Amino acid sequence: MGTRERRDRSDSYDRKLSGLFISALSESKISDKEIALAAVGGYGRGELSPGSDLDLLIVHDGSAREEQLSQFVNALLYPLWDSGIPVDHAVRTRAQTRETAADDIRVAMGILDIRTLEGNADLVSAVATDVIEDWRKNSKKNLTKLRESSLERVERSGELAFLLEPDLKEARGGLRDINALRAIAKCGEDVALDRLSSAEALLANVRDALHGVTGKGRDQLLLTEQDRVATEMNFLDADALMLEVARASRAVDYVMDLTWHRIDSKKATGLFRKSKSEVLGKGVIALNNEVTIESKPQLQNDSGLGLRSAAIAAQRGLPLSIEACLALAENFAPLPIPWPRSSREDLVTLIGAGSAMIRVFEALDQEGIIERWIPEWAHVRFLPQRNVLHRHTVDRHMLETAVRAAKLTRTVHRPDLLLVAALLHDIGKGFPDKDHSEYGEELIRPLALRMGFPESDADVLALLVKHHLLLSSVATRRDLDDPATIEYVTSLISEPQVLELLHALSIADGEATGKTAWSNWKAGLVADLVDRCIISLTGGTGIAPAEQLELTPQQLSRLDSKALTVTISARDDAYEIEILSPDQAGLLSAVAGTFSVSRLNVRSARTRTVGDAVAMNWIVTLDPNATLPSEEILTETLRKAIAGEIDLARKLEDRISNYRKAPGIPVPPPVVTATNDIATQATVLEIRMHDRPGVLFSVARAISRFGVDIRAAIVSTLGAEAFDTLYVTDFAGEALSEERAKLLANQVESYLLTQY
Amino acid sequence: MKLITAIIKPFKLDDVKNALQAFGITGMTVSEASGFGRQRGHTEVYRGAEYTVDLVPKVRLEVLVDSAEAEKVIDVIVKAATTGSIGDGKVWSTPVDNVVRVRTGERGTDAI
Repeated sequence: MGTRERRDRSDSYDRKLSGLFISALSESKISDKEIALAAVGGYGRGELSPGSDLDLLIVHDGSAREEQLSQFVNALLYPLWDSGIPVDHAVRTRAQTRETAADDIRVAMGILDIRTLEGNADLVSAVATDVIEDWRKNSKKNLTKLRESSLERVERSGELAFLLEPDLKEARGGLRDINALRAIAKCGEDVALDRLSSAEALLANVRDALHGVTGKGRDQLLLTEQDRVATEMNFLDADALMLEVARASRAVDYVMDLTWHRIDSKKATGLFRKSKSEVLGKGVIALNNEVTIESKPQLQNDSGLGLRSAAIAAQRGLPLSIEACLALAENFAPLPIPWPRSSREDLVTLIGAGSAMIRVFEALDQEGIIERWIPEWAHVRFLPQRNVLHRHTVDRHMLETAVRAAKLTRTVHRPDLLLVAALLHDIGKGFPDKDHSEYGEELIRPLALRMGFPESDADVLALLVKHHLLLSSVATRRDLDDPATIEYVTSLISEPQVLELLHALSIADGEATGKTAWSNWKAGLVADLVDRCIISLTGGTGIAPAEQLELTPQQLSRLDSKALTVTISARDDAYEIEILSPDQAGLLSAVAGTFSVSRLNVRSARTRTVGDAVAMNWIVTLDPNATLPSEEILTETLRKAIAGEIDLARKLEDRISNYRKAPGIPVPPPVVTATNDIATQATVLEIRMHDRPGVLFSVARAISRFGVDIRAAIVSTLGAEAFDTLYVTDFAGEALSEERAKLLANQVESYLLTQY
Repeated sequence: MKLITAIIKPFKLDDVKNALQAFGITGMTVSEASGFGRQRGHTEVYRGAEYTVDLVPKVRLEVLVDSAEAEKVIDVIVKAATTGSIGDGKVWSTPVDNVVRVRTGERGTDAI
């Protein structure tokens, strides 16, 4: 089967119909000036699959009598019906056709491909002219209808590329989408049709083979038929077939996305308004509602630009422009190994963007960029899996898992590790002789180190990948009341924080797999198991907070001098800033605010109060448009800020409100918890949130105003995910009462909520 | 003929399945269920918050057997599902009028 066969089949029907037309004319005594026979839809394009209907339009000029017409139609169609050929026909005048086409988008789309078979060609071309004219005139309405029907189809039939039993015609990225794209092009829109031809040929060939194998006109490619279709088409096996199907439909999908996006941004900017670009990050701009790269040559010496633009696009909920993806592929500059922190953060930010990430990731994957960053990805790309529980190909399943994990980032202490583990948990799949969890563990460790994660994090990632099925299988197969079960799990996962990560990963993985794999029933069992293990590991006190800064002897001795000192040293692509200062209410917010004003972005920090002095270690990065202040200038600014000589809040207002206005994506709401820690006699405030500039300043200020003292802080930001731990006490140096702690947590949380 | 229904602890499913297969039972229906009996759920303390697990996850297993074998099958299930602790579940049998195998149309004990 192939395009050739479809054309031959179409030609042979043309000949057959032409004979029938002539005999029908003579039987009905209609002149060939009064009537014409035309092919529409796929047959109109001269391509006919074995199971397809013969779509015919009989156009007449209204001069023939009713009974003549029915005689004509009977003479034309009975022979076809008798030989079992499925026909879809309509008999109309020019005016009737115009009217019907205006009402029914499917009729109109069919006529866009009209072709005269026999009779008065002028009648047919008049019909074609009418319909095309109306189609263009009503392009706005038509586009809306096309989009509605396409969305409704995705809802019903899913996405071709990622389903294990896809519908070749109806699913997103299938043959009907190609038709829709062609119709969109006829509205005068810019559609990259040249990217579709090989995809269309393949999908049509597979459909023909399926029809041939089943002897039916059904378009869903079931698992049970994939082997036979693969043999019929000379593929090595069903997996090889499905890989090609996925590739083709992804190309269609991509063009579809791009086309709608271009249409939307044209609508948004209007024809006469000049499009304005907005700088979003170093070398990254927003233009026409797309994120793109400022200049191509920059790519050569800025290897982080690709991930940075992807992260920004995903966080803004905007697509990455096709031009940017093409430029990235063309001028690809590999990241240094290990990746710098900023690139690792960008990856986390990209994954953490939730469903907005998929479009950006797909665009990069279309151009083969993902596998240049993560070579292991190439093996799972489009990889089908023969498993009744799964719905999606391996790569898409991992993306879906990451999307669900992004919603669970507030439930763990290390959102970055959760997201990376979610994206790569099945990376060991597709090696027949290997257990995918064990092989995944082997692959992820070097990969994590290449990404620049420290050894300890690589260990955690390896553990998560290796045991990603552990909790589900133990919870359903072992006795949770038996202490041996709990001992077994805690012997494999002895860190409560890792267990918490594994729990979130199990939920994300289960939900992404499908309802059969993850029911409330199973979720309940797994949660019960995790609770029991955490209680056993922590003795019921809950997970221990992050540890406070350990001071070096030098720091301790310098603390004695009670003077404000600032030391800046370069560290990779960031700066380490050490601050020693006398203790003072509002110190943390003053420092955080000063950094924000000086355009230094806080990545992490550890601070600790010792006696009446404070030691702080900050890791900051420099805003793309800022220069690093000298130690003297920073000390002076800090001194003024602490003394209240600078109104930080006002200075920061613009920056914060500008940022808040930016179009973004829905992110999980912030979560603030307060628990009293016996070891340090302090109340530990844990704040999990989406990072925003200046947010640490405002949080610290809100806490100081509550009338408590921040004794120590552990701030960590990875990408867009921030996790801050603050040790607070009342002014007497005691932990807060339980009620007051709860009130503080609530106040900070509601304050943060107003920021989203 | 009898329909034997068993509510058991989830982790005991494999044991019961194996025991039934060893006994010669070839087909069964398994579904996820939740509920409570005398056990009445249990109270958990987690992260300082107390909450009640009022519905305990269980597995529901159904087997159709010839009346003559019913008692023995019940014994097999009970033996395999016992842990001795509270919440082990229940097994009961109900009389069945007729059974039809959809594919062949066989009826009665032939269809079991």
